[in-house]
Amino acid sequence: MAEAAPIVARKNDPALNGRLYVKAVFSGFTRGQRNQNETSSILKLDGVFNKNDAQWYVGKRVVYVYKAHNKKNVPGAAPSRVRCIWGRVTRSHGNTGSVRAKFHKNLPATALGQRIRVMLYPSNI
Amino acid sequence: SQMAGAKKATPRFRRNYELATGVMRFSAARLYHKRGVALCKKTKIAKKAVAPTAKFVTKKVGGSKNGGERKVLASKGAVYLKEDHVLDKPAKVARNPKVQTLRKNITPGTVLIILAGKHKGKRVVFLKQLEKTGLLLVTGPHKLNNVPLRRIAQSFVIATSTKVDVSGVKIPETLTDAYFKRTHTKVEKKGEQANIFASGHQDYKVSEQRKTDQKLVDKACPGLYQETHPEHKSSADTSAPDSASERTRPLTI
Repeated sequence: MAEAAPIVARKNDPALNGRLYVKAVFSGFTRGQRNQNETSSILKLDGVFNKNDAQWYVGKRVVYVYKAHNKKNVPGAAPSRVRCIWGRVTRSHGNTGSVRAKFHKNLPATALGQRIRVMLYPSNI
Repeated sequence: SQMAGAKKATPRFRRNYELATGVMRFSAARLYHKRGVALCKKTKIAKKAVAPTAKFVTKKVGGSKNGGERKVLASKGAVYLKEDHVLDKPAKVARNPKVQTLRKNITPGTVLIILAGKHKGKRVVFLKQLEKTGLLLVTGPHKLNNVPLRRIAQSFVIATSTKVDVSGVKIPETLTDAYFKRTHTKVEKKGEQANIFASGHQDYKVSEQRKTDQKLVDKACPGLYQETHPEHKSSADTSAPDSASERTRPLTI
């Protein structure tokens, strides 16, 4: 598929890799020096380094996937220990490609520094 | 009205006084009657003698066994028609939800990448946008990547710049939203609702109709993809391609 098509400002190509999300890290909650706001998380996206690129991700859905001790029912599959908290990218944060996200439930503090998946949907390309 | 010259008379309000700014105790109409002006008026309207109209009218009826004549109401009362009931209730506002506008880069034959769902990561061929819901009708083609004729929402799809010629594909008229609509089999409530998801639902079985439609549509599709892109053996290949140079090329969509 090597045709001269315009290069999209996406640093990763998850479709080729089989991973259909962009890797991100939960770097903390929005905060001032001494107070933090747990409802809004800051994510540092892999390969995104400026505000323009970060803007592309606004609106995309975001998951924090984690494992717990007890199994829970999963619709259409066997009960599993894997759980997730869904959210959305709400806006960019700062000048160096970070992004803010809001989750259905606030992220737990144990998620700090952990992997967050930024999905490619809702897609607009 | 006040008595003139009555020094010791207790002060009274005027008969009609202001309660608040511009609001009088008695309206003009009330006061008119209070003054008894109406009774003093001399004008009288003579009553017109109106002949009482007959309620029934006898009419002649044909047929030897019908009694010759019938009493019929002179003026039939207004029949409250079913249509008149419309005036009672406010009309149900017809809700025509706007169908999602198709992105400019999605045209019939565009290869799409599915982002979510069972077939995530697979490339499929876009056939058309369904009228009622605005969802996209796609096909694998099934032989290539096991994606059947399916609906997807535009938001869950990336449109590539690759276009396949589907002008030869004739999509059956029966492929509408109703055709693809999920039919939920009613789950009988059992004593233990422990795991309704696992036990309750029945496995989906592909209907014969679907199979025939799939074959019909894919007839014009299958070879095309491989013709335009001989380097790809199958579009189910979602892993990184073999050549290292492909891996390092910039993303072209």
